[in-house]
Amino acid sequence: MPWKQDYTISDEVAIADADIVWPDGKQCGFGIVVDLSPATSLAGLDEKSLRYPTYHFGLHEGLYDFLDMFARHGLRTTFAVPAAIAAIYPETIARISAAGHEIAVNGLLGEDPLTLDEGTEAERVAQATDMIASVTGARPQGWFSLPRANDPFATGNVSAKTIDLLIANGYAYFGNGLADDAPHYWVTDFASRKHLLTLPYYYHFDDRFFLMFPSEGTGLERPGTLLRNWQTEFAAQYRRGRYFSMTVSPQRSGCGHRLDALDPFRRGGAAMPGLWNATGGEVAAHWTRHHPAATHLKLEPSIWKSYEGSLD
Amino acid sequence: MAMTFEQGGVEALAAIARRSDARNVPIDNFKYPDGVHIVVNFTLDFDAMLLRRLWNEPALQRSKGEFGGRVGIWRLLDMFDANEVKATVFTPGRICELYPKALHRAVAAGHELADHMWEHQVPEDPALEQDHLGKAIAALSAISKTPVIGTRSSHTPAFLRRLGVTYNSFTSARSMPFYQLDENDENELLQLPFHYSIDDAMYFSFGWLGTPNAAQRIYDPETVLEIWWEAFQQQYRAGGYFNLLLHPFVSGHAARVDMLERLIQRMKTLPGVWFPTCGTLAQYCLEQYPFAQQARPSK
Repeated sequence: MPWKQDYTISDEVAIADADIVWPDGKQCGFGIVVDLSPATSLAGLDEKSLRYPTYHFGLHEGLYDFLDMFARHGLRTTFAVPAAIAAIYPETIARISAAGHEIAVNGLLGEDPLTLDEGTEAERVAQATDMIASVTGARPQGWFSLPRANDPFATGNVSAKTIDLLIANGYAYFGNGLADDAPHYWVTDFASRKHLLTLPYYYHFDDRFFLMFPSEGTGLERPGTLLRNWQTEFAAQYRRGRYFSMTVSPQRSGCGHRLDALDPFRRGGAAMPGLWNATGGEVAAHWTRHHPAATHLKLEPSIWKSYEGSLD
Repeated sequence: MAMTFEQGGVEALAAIARRSDARNVPIDNFKYPDGVHIVVNFTLDFDAMLLRRLWNEPALQRSKGEFGGRVGIWRLLDMFDANEVKATVFTPGRICELYPKALHRAVAAGHELADHMWEHQVPEDPALEQDHLGKAIAALSAISKTPVIGTRSSHTPAFLRRLGVTYNSFTSARSMPFYQLDENDENELLQLPFHYSIDDAMYFSFGWLGTPNAAQRIYDPETVLEIWWEAFQQQYRAGGYFNLLLHPFVSGHAARVDMLERLIQRMKTLPGVWFPTCGTLAQYCLEQYPFAQQARPSK
């Protein structure tokens, strides 16, 4: 950058389109994130959210239809799962995993880490990691902190310690960064260049903000807008040779006619030649090998000056 | 002076309205240079994450803004250059310490740097306000190597004029360029008006200006392209003015850059569409239609 703590998390200029390399000379990276959190409040899932009829639908019929559709089209995805959901529904998670999808963590309860004190957050990251590992048999590679529909910001939250905690717990990537629309490095310490690879997320491509938003029954159902956002962004990123990631949830997009809406998207976009569809863990592995931080993270010291009456 | 209905009845309110109206001075018989039918100003509010930081918003909100500095601004400038559009980058002074490379790249391609406050706020204390404004103008001038003559802010007009600022782009009070006086009927500045209906944040930014979740209507680029094309055509028929307000952290996303390029290419199918910087338009207005020659509305 000039690096500036609490302002920026990565370098001053993003990687250029022309410098991005995908496996086997492919044109564009393509990720699908499936959000399995029922949480509607910052505290994460609770009795009320677990009993939602739409969530029940999402974890059963909606999910099975999702898995069928992914299998039919040969798509592999990343499931962002609150660890408690994996513990409650281990057979469901095993079925998803057996179909070739990645199981990543979306908090212990799909909660907002800003509601936790530092010690509690550290405990929960460790606990959630172990919980997922015991269900899947492997340590998770990816951690998400996805937004809930009633959050004040449509970004999800991390605390000042979250990324360091993820590094300490051996994560390969953080799944919902907004500082780029390609994978990028989230730096937590300028001097040591301590960093974690971060995959891009944008709420404009997340069905949570378009279907039954902010909650079921409010009538804010805008599938056409969501589909056009997916299609136009996909086309633009494909042309640039960059990366496109969409976020879907079976309690929303898995429902009947909405599932159909994913198909024209697939015909229009996901069937393009030279598309590299991969899980988050595979994208992270490719990226750190071919665009390593040692050569691609270009940090420069801060030139920020301190003045009385100005921001620190 | 009576300022409320309770103090002075409708007449007090009428006096307030008349004073407010009298501050806005239209330019009579305004014409663009020969061959120009409409001016289109692409104006970028380049605060990146600065406002998010100022409001102490959480890390991923700041990242949303950071996108504008490390990705969005570059893409928009590349697209403008490919389409021979000169943009005006309204830049908080502090951005010079965060994204100097992008600003140098903008200046090198002939885009204009204009003021957008020091830290995206105007301090209430006049001494601190002048301190901030002076720092912003100095930081931007050091990069642009030319005097900064524009602002998009609510800075005190007298302070702005003292530092050489001659135009503002911070109102929707009229559709065409006009002069605006301060509260004391002094210190006129040229206003190059924008309109919220051609402001990207209204369509694409979640929770803009504190709006609640149930009020969100996030748009798609195709729909916005048609809204803005209609708006442009209406102004074109009127021989008007079109000031598009964009934020690099919003409009720098790939699908929106493509949408804006299509909008520009559609505009270019019509004769007489000029895409100068705000500074170029302001200098034309100030030279051809100086304030001293404008008829003041009666108070």
